[in-house]
Amino acid sequence: MKIDKELIESISKNARLKLSDKEIEKFSHELKDVLEAFSKLKEVNTDKVEPAFHPIKIVNRFREDIVKESLKQEDALKNAKHKKDGYFVAPKTIDK
Amino acid sequence: MKIGLEIHVELNSKSKIFCSCATQGSNVPNTRTCEICLGMPGSKPSFNREVLHKALKVALALGCKINKESFFSRKNYFYPDMTKNFQITQYELPLAENGKFEGINIRRIHMEEDPGALIHFGSITLIDYNRSGMPLIEIVTEPDFKTPKEARTFLNKLITLLEYLNVYVREEETTLKADANISLEGGERVEIKNVTGLREIERCLEYEAKRQEIELATFKETRGWDAEKGVTYSLRKKESENDYGYLTECDLPMLELSDTLLNEIKKEIPELPNQKIKNFIDKYKLNKDDAEVIASDLKLAELFEQISHKIDAKIAANYLRRDLLGQLEYNKLQVKDLKIGEHGVKDIGVMLNLYQKNKINNNILKTLTIRLIKEGKIGEIKEQVSDDSQLKKWCKEAIENNKSVVEDYKKGNENSLNFLVGYVMKLSNKSANPQKVREILKEMI
Amino acid sequence: MNVNEYLSKGKNEVKEIIKEAREINKKYNYFNYIDEDATGGKGKLSNLPVSVKDCICVKDMESRAGSLILKGYKPVFDATVISRLRKEGVAIIGKTSQDEFGFGSFSTNTDNIPKNPIDVERSTGGSSGGSGGFTAITKYTHVSIAESTGGSIACPAGFCGVAGFTPTYGVVSRYGLIDYANSLDKIGVMAKKVNEIKPVFDIIRGYDEKDSTSLKLDLNKDEKIKKIGVIKETLNVDEKIKDAVLSKLKDYEEVSLPLVEKYGVTAYYIIALSEASTNLAKYSGLRYGESLDLKGNYNEYFSDVRSKFFSTESKRRIILGTFARMAGYRDAYYLKAMKVRNLIIQEYKKAFKKYDVLISPTMPIIAPKFSEISKLTPLENYMMDIMTVGPNLAGLPHLSVNAGFIGKMPVGLMVIGNHLDDNKVLKFGEKIE
Repeated sequence: MKIDKELIESISKNARLKLSDKEIEKFSHELKDVLEAFSKLKEVNTDKVEPAFHPIKIVNRFREDIVKESLKQEDALKNAKHKKDGYFVAPKTIDK
Repeated sequence: MKIGLEIHVELNSKSKIFCSCATQGSNVPNTRTCEICLGMPGSKPSFNREVLHKALKVALALGCKINKESFFSRKNYFYPDMTKNFQITQYELPLAENGKFEGINIRRIHMEEDPGALIHFGSITLIDYNRSGMPLIEIVTEPDFKTPKEARTFLNKLITLLEYLNVYVREEETTLKADANISLEGGERVEIKNVTGLREIERCLEYEAKRQEIELATFKETRGWDAEKGVTYSLRKKESENDYGYLTECDLPMLELSDTLLNEIKKEIPELPNQKIKNFIDKYKLNKDDAEVIASDLKLAELFEQISHKIDAKIAANYLRRDLLGQLEYNKLQVKDLKIGEHGVKDIGVMLNLYQKNKINNNILKTLTIRLIKEGKIGEIKEQVSDDSQLKKWCKEAIENNKSVVEDYKKGNENSLNFLVGYVMKLSNKSANPQKVREILKEMI
Repeated sequence: MNVNEYLSKGKNEVKEIIKEAREINKKYNYFNYIDEDATGGKGKLSNLPVSVKDCICVKDMESRAGSLILKGYKPVFDATVISRLRKEGVAIIGKTSQDEFGFGSFSTNTDNIPKNPIDVERSTGGSSGGSGGFTAITKYTHVSIAESTGGSIACPAGFCGVAGFTPTYGVVSRYGLIDYANSLDKIGVMAKKVNEIKPVFDIIRGYDEKDSTSLKLDLNKDEKIKKIGVIKETLNVDEKIKDAVLSKLKDYEEVSLPLVEKYGVTAYYIIALSEASTNLAKYSGLRYGESLDLKGNYNEYFSDVRSKFFSTESKRRIILGTFARMAGYRDAYYLKAMKVRNLIIQEYKKAFKKYDVLISPTMPIIAPKFSEISKLTPLENYMMDIMTVGPNLAGLPHLSVNAGFIGKMPVGLMVIGNHLDDNKVLKFGEKIE
């Protein structure tokens, strides 16, 4: 696998991060190190091994279908800076 | 032509899929939300048991193989309608796979949460998260449809089935959403995202089929549907599709479904539309057309079964199709708007008995049906007047007031008699027995 | 005064400790927020002063997990641990400083860097640095509610010379914990002495239906210690650290856990960062936390907010985690790491068939100087967790307890127990102390 600037750029775009050229440069060096270390896992034989999604296997947790009180509108919006008439406000989502 | 559908069905549980906010109620923006469906830091989802049960009912009714083990995943992409910038859905192991319905192969069924709703408002977007976390199942078909019409017919039958299962409430046509994919022979597959409503799904497929006939698709593409203009438009070429970086939803444990549970769910599945149609034909001796129309709506089918205990099935079917559905349509109402209780059913039985014995005429039947639709019951039924002396009085008046018409009749104009019968009906305020009036008029003239 | 004595005497030193915290904070940066008006109440923990790591939501109290992007975020709900503690009368005195979202072993990845109570040139350890530092320094009775993903309780406990306990995964509800990595995060307790932990632990533990990964199982009742195993690979450290740890033990055998040693850190980081990178997606300047003026389309806006308010370490971890989940790499990294975790759990389970507890040093070093930390590469940084990631990856209860000093600086000894042997671990820790 090649860790180059292009890869870092495409990952950061996917993760909605704008990196400066300096950051990209720095990260591609560091990540090479880290990913090389990560690649060590390839040595381990994991045939027929189930992935452990949690340390202790937990299955089937449910909530009963009961309605509880929702937040008041003002509490729902309390932490948002951009709001209007009870709505959250976001930037443009269409280019039409 | 090959068409496949990814159908999003909103399940009718009382609370949302991962939190206790109500699925119905206030439409004031952001009043049916909590820290969970708003994705606030620190909140965690907890899965609604009823959503699983309803999804299983659908999967079993569509003949799917249930995955005894499945789990939720995070589908990661950034969009303001998603409170966490990932959607909790199922990916590698969906709830169910490989079913078949109406000759169409079902590839998979999985459960997921609905995002919020965006309102485009000039240079900004308003967001209402009341819809965030509404329970959805996605039913993915193989590309087995050969025409847009087939797809629509299938969806209609699917909705009927969902109603029978009591997992879905047909509101407006618009509540059913689908992504449709279509490819012509020799061309690439084009997907049309987020089309709302049965009619629109058919329309957009028809448009897209025509578009591709003129210009065969040479690359995989995702398009949108502009319902106002009636055209599809390019969203993105498939190559540049998002990398969703699926991750196991580590706040939710695995689902392991026991045979006991599946058997319990199977028991909850009622007689389904196709079985009902067969029954109506075999047991109730209806013709195929009547059987299909009546079975197409669970409420209508159940009403039919109840009435058939009290009156000949054919008369019942005829009444429901011709009179009841006719009046509903005339008043722009649907079967679901009917509120006919036990009392109402009894009334219908009495009414149809009288009708059968010729004790009420079509006019009265119509009046009573309107009352049934409005009030859910009929109440007192005034039989038609068949008493000779009263009828003779009216007939006499009719003859005296329409001398020239009587002359015409005597000259052999049969229509004139119809006019006189109508005159008597008017005099009787539509309560006279028309057959008897005819006989008496003939006699008197 | 010990917690048990404080409670039995019905003391109330809430006002005094808040005053002290305010003074100490000027020099040591242990708090991101101090609640001047905090009061206690009646219950099993009447008027007990409790500090809470910043990543645990306290209603109406700024909870920003040491980050800038969540600045100003005041939760509209209490974490389950908080509501359980409040019911028993504690006073929540404030939010302790930490590495942003728990990303670090030295509490240096944040705007408010706590300093070691013994030597201000040195780190408290991390990521629960503020909790560790204040627990060590306060003159008053106090416990801190901290959180560990890969060692964030044990590490600062070791560096600051206090007791830090991380329970079995799922024994304490995570509801209201601002996620780092959901399948690894555990809320735990820090106190001056081991025997102060249990009264608080007993209140916060137990099944919570709001956290679907919380366990319905009871803790094991057997607390007897028959056999002690020392993890051989972890003795490969500075002789003084090794001696300090071993001097606390009488009878023990060495036990080898090769998979943990070789692959623990790697598997841990892949899982942790994969999960973290999706958890951090929600911070986009829309519903809470920092924001910018609305300009352009949503993609640009999200990118602008995230680029401006995430620290370099967060960006680094998002990039690594996003990479590990990418189509084409997912099986080789993320899924592979989940499988290796299974093997590592099995390796521990095998050891616990023979041994009641496993012992290792808490950290391979004593608290480092800030000047040394700044020279570490990211990889060297991540390798610092070599001792602590094992039990965290496997969700095993573990306790760091002071085992002595090198010069003035404390050395931590770590006691690791089998799943649900939380009480056994605490009991053994008391004995060592």
